[in-house]
Amino acid sequence: MKLDPSFIWTAFVQILSAIPTTLYITVVSVLIGFVIGVAVALIRIYRIPLLYPLAVGYVTFIRGTPMLTHLLLIYFGLPVLIDGLAVQFGWSFRSVSIPMIGFAYISFSITAGAYMSEVVRSGLLAVDRGQLEAAHSIGMTTPQALRRIVFPQALAASLPNLSNSVIGMLHGSTLAFTVSVVDINAKAQIVASTNWKFFEAYLAAALIFWGLTFLIERATSVIEKRINLYNRGGVA
Amino acid sequence: MGAPFDISYVFSYLPKLLGTLGTTLLIVGCSLLAGIIVGFIVALPRLYKVPVLKTCSEIYISFFRGTPILIQLFLFYYGLPEILKLVQVDMTRTPVLVFVILTYGLHTGAYMSEMIRAAVQAVDKGQVEAAYATGMTGFQAFMRIVLPQALGIAIPVFSNLVIALLKDTSLAFTLGVMEMTGKAQTLGSLTQHFIETYIALALIYLVISFTIEKLLLVAERRLLRHEKRSAAEKRSFKIHKNWSYRRIIAELGPGKGGAGL
Repeated sequence: MKLDPSFIWTAFVQILSAIPTTLYITVVSVLIGFVIGVAVALIRIYRIPLLYPLAVGYVTFIRGTPMLTHLLLIYFGLPVLIDGLAVQFGWSFRSVSIPMIGFAYISFSITAGAYMSEVVRSGLLAVDRGQLEAAHSIGMTTPQALRRIVFPQALAASLPNLSNSVIGMLHGSTLAFTVSVVDINAKAQIVASTNWKFFEAYLAAALIFWGLTFLIERATSVIEKRINLYNRGGVA
Repeated sequence: MGAPFDISYVFSYLPKLLGTLGTTLLIVGCSLLAGIIVGFIVALPRLYKVPVLKTCSEIYISFFRGTPILIQLFLFYYGLPEILKLVQVDMTRTPVLVFVILTYGLHTGAYMSEMIRAAVQAVDKGQVEAAYATGMTGFQAFMRIVLPQALGIAIPVFSNLVIALLKDTSLAFTLGVMEMTGKAQTLGSLTQHFIETYIALALIYLVISFTIEKLLLVAERRLLRHEKRSAAEKRSFKIHKNWSYRRIIAELGPGKGGAGL
């Protein structure tokens, strides 16, 4: 086995075709995760009875166990659950009709949800309580105040963490190969094993990931400048 | 898929999985040690702004934080032997565990260096100046004044890094290392009781990360006990302190890609 630098380029081109899959997994899990995260964060901040311990348990469990375990649990557990329910209620839907990537979406969304909830929570807590009180004093309802006053500021405060989470999910999506989804990592494996040039293929994959991460960072810093416009100083 | 669900398997698998806990902890311990050493070496050029080395360490950090650990694992496993072959070193007999620890060590090293840098920079510069004023040398000032304070600041981030590392070890099975996840997969495919094995696996990870968190919280309290103030003073400082503390933590936070999934 010899090093073959020219194969890095060949592998690079071939792996490019798998970028959309990786991005789909990342985007879907981040978006659904964000929705879950906002819900969980609000439950925790407002200490809604019954739901509060559930939310705490969810966040603790997900953050205390590896993402791979979530994926495997969903992959093996969900079909049993769905088929069991289907038999009981006479649904025609069976777990077989869930595509492989569906498991990745579901499991990574659940993972992202727990991490996102912490991001959202710290963002919301970073907004001064007086802001909410001021909004109430001019007659806004709580949902109005949250949407118009608190959320925009919380978003600005949590943007760096949000960007970290997105990059984390991008890197986490490499685990999708365990449920036979062909993302960048799995594609690199395929390219490598058909040509027996593992090092070159993974080097190409690493370069692609490095580039994607760099792009996300650049985009974040642009958005950060834009979103912090309200905060550009002035008096005191 | 597989055999019907039976909760009793969870309990019978727990001891079997615990048997491989040693391998997981060995990987965590060794790579943590390597990571701290690497982290210090990489952080120094950036702290002291050494011209060329600074750029090198920046590229190093950017690479290890910008690519997934799984890719790094494969890259080292397949790439290192080939590169070392060029200088006539044979690595065919090296155990896989060495590659795993090397990769995790270098990976955590990048995060550690960021943590060390941020923590050292978070210590007020006046502290160092005061130390110089009393006649301490640079080394003495660092060891006696800066380091103890930086340790206290860095502990929450350190705790996150250790837990992230623990969870990352679940990927070592891809190279065939029999740590907990690898063992769980073998057990699962032997008996077809996949869900039960993975529940047992999740429980073990949960307990370990919980323990690590609690232990390091105790350490944090001990290291930050110099921050204790009288009750009245505390009240007036509280808002300000919480705010600055949170900002430091956010700044320290394991940077890009540090979700430690």
